[in-house]
Amino acid sequence: MREVVIVGIGSTPFGRHAGTPIEQLAVSAAAQAIVDAGVDRERIGALYLGNFISGPLNGKEVLAGIVADQLGLPNIPCTKVEGACASGGIAFRHAWMAIASGQCDAAIAVGAETMTHATTAQSTAALNCAMDNEHDGPSGLTFPGLFGLAWRVHAQRYGTTRAQVSAVVRKNKRNGLLNPLAQMGAELTDEQIDSSATICDPLQLYDCCPTSDGAAAVVLVARSMLREVTGVPVDILAAIQTRGASRIAGHPDLCSFDATVSAAQRAFQAAGVAAADVDVVELHDCFSIAEVIDSEDLGLIPRGQGAAWAAEGRTAVDGDVAINPSGGLLAKGHPVGATGLGQLYEVVQQLRGTHPNQVPDARIGMTHNLGGTGVACTVSLLRAAS
Amino acid sequence: MSETLVFPSLPMVRCARCGRIDTSMRSVCAGCLSSDLRPEPVAGVGRVVSFTTIRRAPTQFRDQAPYDVVVVDLDAGLRVTGRLAADSRRPEIGSRVHAIRAERADTLFMVSEQA
Repeated sequence: MREVVIVGIGSTPFGRHAGTPIEQLAVSAAAQAIVDAGVDRERIGALYLGNFISGPLNGKEVLAGIVADQLGLPNIPCTKVEGACASGGIAFRHAWMAIASGQCDAAIAVGAETMTHATTAQSTAALNCAMDNEHDGPSGLTFPGLFGLAWRVHAQRYGTTRAQVSAVVRKNKRNGLLNPLAQMGAELTDEQIDSSATICDPLQLYDCCPTSDGAAAVVLVARSMLREVTGVPVDILAAIQTRGASRIAGHPDLCSFDATVSAAQRAFQAAGVAAADVDVVELHDCFSIAEVIDSEDLGLIPRGQGAAWAAEGRTAVDGDVAINPSGGLLAKGHPVGATGLGQLYEVVQQLRGTHPNQVPDARIGMTHNLGGTGVACTVSLLRAAS
Repeated sequence: MSETLVFPSLPMVRCARCGRIDTSMRSVCAGCLSSDLRPEPVAGVGRVVSFTTIRRAPTQFRDQAPYDVVVVDLDAGLRVTGRLAADSRRPEIGSRVHAIRAERADTLFMVSEQA
């Protein structure tokens, strides 16, 4: 396989983009990434677009071709990929594969979603398409419900408390205040979190990510093509995709996702780095307890201690491992199909040393994107160019 | 009479070729890909793995909210997702439960009286 580097990034703000068509958000982010890369569009050999629910919510499909058309790209293969909340990460991995395998020398991965125009009933119904509905649908379970189940097991087994989990919420909301792209940064008190509405016991309102619109994109090239571009490169050490159980009851442990565990193990092996080497990670905190579980599944924090580490400040920007300095999904927002590429946008900035909430001396960065009830996962490891 | 005979069974399937027992919503056995799957009623008794209360429900269940979803480890060795009956006692992790209704993946559980 050939070595691949990221040379360009682009993103819209995450939040409300009322009235802006999804393809225009995607094109804005992609155009930024192409300009940032300084790549000749004629050299781009493939486009992958991550999107989850533009069909049900916008009545729009074939977005990959529509976006390429508006970008003035050549007659290249343009492919939309879907893996629920991991759609963006999957698009990135496919773009990486196209170059690593020698199919082309440059590729672009774009992720986009618009959700805020829909009613809660419409977006809930669309998001619930990410479940194995034959098995889990009849119970009336929802995605917050899945993480309510997980939280209860984590609390019982490890003694995780509301106050410890609130430390995750407060950290990510505070980080979001420093990120100009974030939808909902805030300085919150424990009392505000404690008194917010209960969504799915024990999950409360501030434990849940908002509904968002947005798009993000990255341009990748083969290392051998670096002299043809001007963007500041970041090395891709690993780009892994895995599958987990498709139904809730398929998970042997409700507070661990097999797909994350195996993706992280394969990524560390492929990259030749250890979990202790990771300086910064953007991981899939769709709910506060998800950050706790993800950080343990990724091997960054010992099992059962994820929430305690947050409470002790060890996951802050200046902590042992900086988790979600962007604000994460909780504060930055979660435009589903764009999220995985938004994470890459953030980590590339960290490794270039240009992030508005910079982790000091960040050298190794990680992204983690989880889809459905843990059925799809991508993990990438990136390294600052030496 | 044992409770396994009193309460409804869950409608699982058994693979006639390799013997694997699994849920019925499938066309082939995930163990050996045989399509020779035979109905296999499984006792609807087990223990609560976890539970949560859904307060913001999908549209088709909105009139039923709030309601409890439970994940149950059946004594037969299968794990299933189901609903807790509205008039059930409150569960804890590890509570014994039994099914009072079971159709395909639609299972309604009740917390059992302590032995």
